[in-house]
Amino acid sequence: MSNIEQFSYDNAIVRKFAIASVVFGIIGMLVGLTIALQLVFPALSFDQPYLTYGRLRPLHTNAVIFAFVGNGIFLGVYYSLQRLLKAPMYSKFLSNFHFWGWQAIILAAAITLPLGITSSHEYAELEWPIDIAIAVVWIAFGINMFGTILKRRESHMYVAIWFYIATWVTVTILHIFNNLVIPVSLFKSYPVFAGVQDALVQWWYGHNAVAFFLTTPYLGLMYYFLPKAANRPVFSYRLSIIHFWSLIFIYIWAGPHHLLYTSLPDWAQSLGVVFSLMLIAPSWGGMLNGLLTLRGAWDRVRTDPILKFMVVAVTAYGMSTFEGPMMSIKAMNAITHYTDWTIGHVHIGALGWNGMLTFGILYWLMPRIYNTKLYSVKLANTHFWLGTLGIIFYAVPLYWAGVTQQLMWKQFTPDGFLQYGNFLETVTQIIPMYAIRIVGGTIYLIGVFIMVYNLWKTMASGVFQASEKAEAPAREVYHPHAGDNWHRWFERRSVLFTALALVAVIIGGLVEILPMMWVESNVPKIETVRPYTALELQGRDIYIREGCVGCHSQMIRPFRSETERYGEFSKSGEFIYDRPFLWGSKRTGPDLHRIGGKYPDSWHYNHMLDAESMSPGSIMPPYPWLITDDLDTSDTEKKINVLMALGTPYDESYARNANKYLERQALEIAASLRRDGVNVPDIEKKEIVALIAYLQRLGTDIKKQGVTSSSN
Amino acid sequence: MYKYLLQSVENINWLAIIPLILFFIFFVVIVVVTLRKKKSYIEKMGNLPLEEE
Repeated sequence: MSNIEQFSYDNAIVRKFAIASVVFGIIGMLVGLTIALQLVFPALSFDQPYLTYGRLRPLHTNAVIFAFVGNGIFLGVYYSLQRLLKAPMYSKFLSNFHFWGWQAIILAAAITLPLGITSSHEYAELEWPIDIAIAVVWIAFGINMFGTILKRRESHMYVAIWFYIATWVTVTILHIFNNLVIPVSLFKSYPVFAGVQDALVQWWYGHNAVAFFLTTPYLGLMYYFLPKAANRPVFSYRLSIIHFWSLIFIYIWAGPHHLLYTSLPDWAQSLGVVFSLMLIAPSWGGMLNGLLTLRGAWDRVRTDPILKFMVVAVTAYGMSTFEGPMMSIKAMNAITHYTDWTIGHVHIGALGWNGMLTFGILYWLMPRIYNTKLYSVKLANTHFWLGTLGIIFYAVPLYWAGVTQQLMWKQFTPDGFLQYGNFLETVTQIIPMYAIRIVGGTIYLIGVFIMVYNLWKTMASGVFQASEKAEAPAREVYHPHAGDNWHRWFERRSVLFTALALVAVIIGGLVEILPMMWVESNVPKIETVRPYTALELQGRDIYIREGCVGCHSQMIRPFRSETERYGEFSKSGEFIYDRPFLWGSKRTGPDLHRIGGKYPDSWHYNHMLDAESMSPGSIMPPYPWLITDDLDTSDTEKKINVLMALGTPYDESYARNANKYLERQALEIAASLRRDGVNVPDIEKKEIVALIAYLQRLGTDIKKQGVTSSSN
Repeated sequence: MYKYLLQSVENINWLAIIPLILFFIFFVVIVVVTLRKKKSYIEKMGNLPLEEE
């Protein structure tokens, strides 16, 4: 124990991330509450484009995932990493750059998403300039973390750090591949992958955003903060090693379970199912490891609110990681997919696992960095019960709603007709469940406000220890008598470890995605499927801007209940020009893949202006600005050029004359609207015409048997 | 029934089987390596978070 070195831990950065996590948590939850209210009271969008459900939903998901949980990850990592490695962070500048950069990105998201600037890839909606900023900040975090690891005083790396490393490595890969786009302008881009391939890459990302952003870093936090709070070592360190390696190896494969019964090739679906089922084993191994850490300390769980939060968090982790694989079984997925069951499921994860663990960590950590005691244990206990009740009142009604709605979708009369042929019937049936969900969310949020008060009082009663003195022996490698080889060996090990983790996660990605790119037979071509016309393309981009995909799928599964309701099931060859794909993952409204030609143009006009005029009881908000705003055609040529560069077979001359074709088609639709009594001056110049053109085109190509390829 | 299983052997997609075998090997290696770790090392590692206090 010679050569003791003195240094200090940086608590200032921990406090910054803690405050950001709480502030953005509240904002994210308030936006969530708003959109939950809008489903019951659609008028709450106040006819404003910036306040529609379609635009606010991505704001809610991004705020909760990347702002609340993201800042939660960093608060925990910056606290535990320094202490586990017995070293301050590598660079204070990078710590602060990371913090302010991350908050700037959140701000950019909060501005661009309500403006309708979106790539429409779920949980990766931000457009390309922000994506680049995310990459820069993330790399800064990586340098800071690996720098700290390299100059550590503790030669062994605790399992929590493994989880942090795997998180960093995997998120880097996922972020890059799911955001490969060609920009059209500063705020618009088209993805390099189309249709089925885009879907596979997106859900490879989407699933692993859950796995490597909401799960692995939080498991790292669990392995550090749970033993700290319980004041005993983790139940089995051996189990944690097996937990780590099998989890990161298996997780990356499970993405296709988001695409069961879709046009994704069968082998990829089966792969997703098998690996999803296998995920139960490591996930439950981890959960049990967490819970069993409390062996001999369960009496303290009765009195210590911090342990209560952690127990519920770990239990919620166990519940959602059991539920996830179950939902990945095809027969189960046929019932849960597209319904509110999924929303209930993810909130067990977000509110239970991420939320409760974050709260537990905050209650444990804030008094420590303020060198004081928690202001009120009683209030923390109140928060705990409100949080737990809130989760139950949130999730249970949505499970109920999900099952009810799916059963109604699938119900046939004895004569073989759909019993609930009108989709809306299945929506109005579950509105009461949506209302109860609002109560659950509100209870949970009240608990958070109580925590803010409690932590505020705690902070006021203590003195902030911006830098905390510590001492530890220098790592043996720095010892003058130790050989240089040791030094190299230890340093190499953290690098070697990172490389191994990278290999483990990359295999899954490669085996799943590469065949989809290379093997053409995976996406059979359909002769009659043609690229969108210029007007339809503009309409499609409006559909993307308004976030229609948040409530409407474009993927009819091969069930009789779906083909009866919507028409022919969707085929992979129909999506080859779809950049991005818009299959969706939730049907708050009906599927739209075969909507083309189903209704007259004027129906869509009236429906967008006031959905209730066409469908009484509809909860779709009105979109009056589509009728008053002129369609921006300044970028049509550029859009076509970008799509041509990506391989969409437009004629050479089509791009140059795109707006001419666009105007011609717009005039046709305007004429049809006028015939039906729509008397709006210059309607052919309005956005609504483009949107109608797109909707009327949807899913119609395969009906054009025998059409020759003369147009575009 | 066995007859049908055997008939479809040719259609088994090796793209799906290979990952499964890969994982099995990977898992066995991890378990063996982990179980062979020394008890003193495991105890030291488990206590790392508690050391500073």
